[in-house]
Amino acid sequence: MSSTPSQPGQPAESTTLLSVQDLQVEYRTRRGAVKAVDHVSFDVSKNEVFGLAGESGCGKSTAAHAIIRILKPPAYITGGKVMFMGHDVRQMNDMELRRFRWRHVAIVFQSAMNALNPVLSVGNQIKDVLRAHTNMKPDETHERALELLRVVGIDTKRLGSYPHQLSGGMRQRAVIAIALALNPEMVIMDEPTTALDVVVQKQILQEIRQLKDEFGFSILFITHDLSLLVEFSDRIGIMYAGELVETAPSQEIFNSPRHPYTHRLMNSFPTIWGARQELLGIPGSPPDLITPPSGCRFHPRCELALADGTCKQVRPMLIDVSSKHRAACHLVEQQLAVQKETVP
Amino acid sequence: MSENIQPILETRGLTKHFFTGNALSRTVVKAVQDATLQVYPEKVVALVGESGSGKSTIVRMLAQLYKPTSGDIIFEGENIVKHTSRAALLRYRGKVQMIFQDPFASLNPVHKVSYCLQRPLRIHHKAPPGMASALHRQTIELLEQVSLIPAEDYIKKYPHQLSGGQRQRVAIARALAVEPKVILADEPVSMLDVSIRLGVLNLMDRLREMHGIGFLYVTHDLASARYFADEILVMYAGWIVEKAKSEELIQNPKHPYTQLLLSAVPDPSRGLRTAEIEIKGEIPNLANLGAGCPFAPRCSKVMEKCNTVMPPITTFDDGSWTRCYLFPNN
Repeated sequence: MSSTPSQPGQPAESTTLLSVQDLQVEYRTRRGAVKAVDHVSFDVSKNEVFGLAGESGCGKSTAAHAIIRILKPPAYITGGKVMFMGHDVRQMNDMELRRFRWRHVAIVFQSAMNALNPVLSVGNQIKDVLRAHTNMKPDETHERALELLRVVGIDTKRLGSYPHQLSGGMRQRAVIAIALALNPEMVIMDEPTTALDVVVQKQILQEIRQLKDEFGFSILFITHDLSLLVEFSDRIGIMYAGELVETAPSQEIFNSPRHPYTHRLMNSFPTIWGARQELLGIPGSPPDLITPPSGCRFHPRCELALADGTCKQVRPMLIDVSSKHRAACHLVEQQLAVQKETVP
Repeated sequence: MSENIQPILETRGLTKHFFTGNALSRTVVKAVQDATLQVYPEKVVALVGESGSGKSTIVRMLAQLYKPTSGDIIFEGENIVKHTSRAALLRYRGKVQMIFQDPFASLNPVHKVSYCLQRPLRIHHKAPPGMASALHRQTIELLEQVSLIPAEDYIKKYPHQLSGGQRQRVAIARALAVEPKVILADEPVSMLDVSIRLGVLNLMDRLREMHGIGFLYVTHDLASARYFADEILVMYAGWIVEKAKSEELIQNPKHPYTQLLLSAVPDPSRGLRTAEIEIKGEIPNLANLGAGCPFAPRCSKVMEKCNTVMPPITTFDDGSWTRCYLFPNN
């Protein structure tokens, strides 16, 4: 572990590693186009943990898969830009993409059992990555595979084990080892601990943090579990119905959320240590994205929707609430306008 | 919990062993061992544990889907383990109902909501035979009770036309149809979206109050157990290791496993970046358990006797109890 572990809300450096601008992804179905990701923009800095949260079907995984272009039809990127260290990922040809994936950005999927090949030993699967992307000699790949197992806390005797011989936590560690094989600048983690028990989850997240501080990669962390995300990330983006509705440092989003959806979401899960109070959840359910609501997509479920119909008609844009905090809500816009008038 | 109120459903020394393997190498999986719990009318008792700890096995024994290896299940003062005739089962299931985890799998996809709700009404003779209008009225009432309004719209729908939260509400309405005294809810909200969960938990709480139903709430989520339940039981590797009132268990956990579980739950309200905890080992293989406490290999306060004999129950003044040598019987 490095001597200066990064603190939430304070990314170690503010150099942008990944910049997603106006990303749009559609699923073309027989019923029509599902706008799964709609004009989503965010940046991830070097050595930062950026969390993307939202309910199922809000487009968070689709956005992540679009970033490294592993979407398969019927999903198509229909607009926007993905810039990684100054390179436009959407313009890359097959060769460039092959070099970009894993060497620069690796991904950890939710279900380790499906991500691993059941008929290959763990060691062979790590070596596979090394063989495919480097010119290492066999004894070098073997050494590196052993080193990676040590790094993620698996006994090196397990090199020859098959996935079914490992526990769920071990399997997820093996997947993380494969992701780290080429020392990528960024690791996308798509619900990496959702299938695990809380104790194992805690263990693995602690280890990921240590590895991050040691190797200095960024993490794009995707989960539906907000309490986990607030604890784990530096900055958080909240998605709803394909749109990014708020981004802020995690502490700020927890203590003073500005978007009504974020606010209600923060009051939707019971906590262990907070006051034991009645919680309400959010009435209604997330919309059908083939025909999303007009204006603000959250307006049918929002009790604060403006009476003059603005929320229903006009789509709110992400605006700066403070230097690090952005929200897409007409109400916030109004409040900010009032503040400007009163404070000359 | 009031001392003079009798539990409506209780177990004594409930044990379930599964046998796997063949004649040459037989393995015994000790899924549940010596489980004692009580469900009281109008109260919620939560059974919390990680996957594979045996909580679903307990529920399935209580629903009489599994036959216990040994031990008793007492419902309204009668030991139901001995009564397994069809008629007795039907009678029991008219009073004890179950809600399953996955509302996408627990509703028959080829039938409408009306069929799904009228089947229990017919089977348990809750509607006079041949009275289609009465049946229809009861179905509407059930849907209204679970806040699927306007009920006339939902009655004609198929499960695939409903969202996860709505399906779980239909599953709850189906359990309610027989006017049960106890509902066994096996992870009823863990498959639902965060914003929907609270609605379903609050609905169950309202029904508990309205109909005086006793709930056994099975979950892996301690925070929701604290929110919904009066009393929490913590399970580890087939054993119930601690029982206490919800708030007491959270504020003052006794068993080292409960303490570990609590420290692992992510919770932003406790301050960001909580203290890192020392966690070693994983859940043991239930086919290969030693004689002692199953938590001993991971426990930081392990003593010599922990590895040889499972600690007995130590009961405290407030009715809570734990199985741990740190709390010796006096």
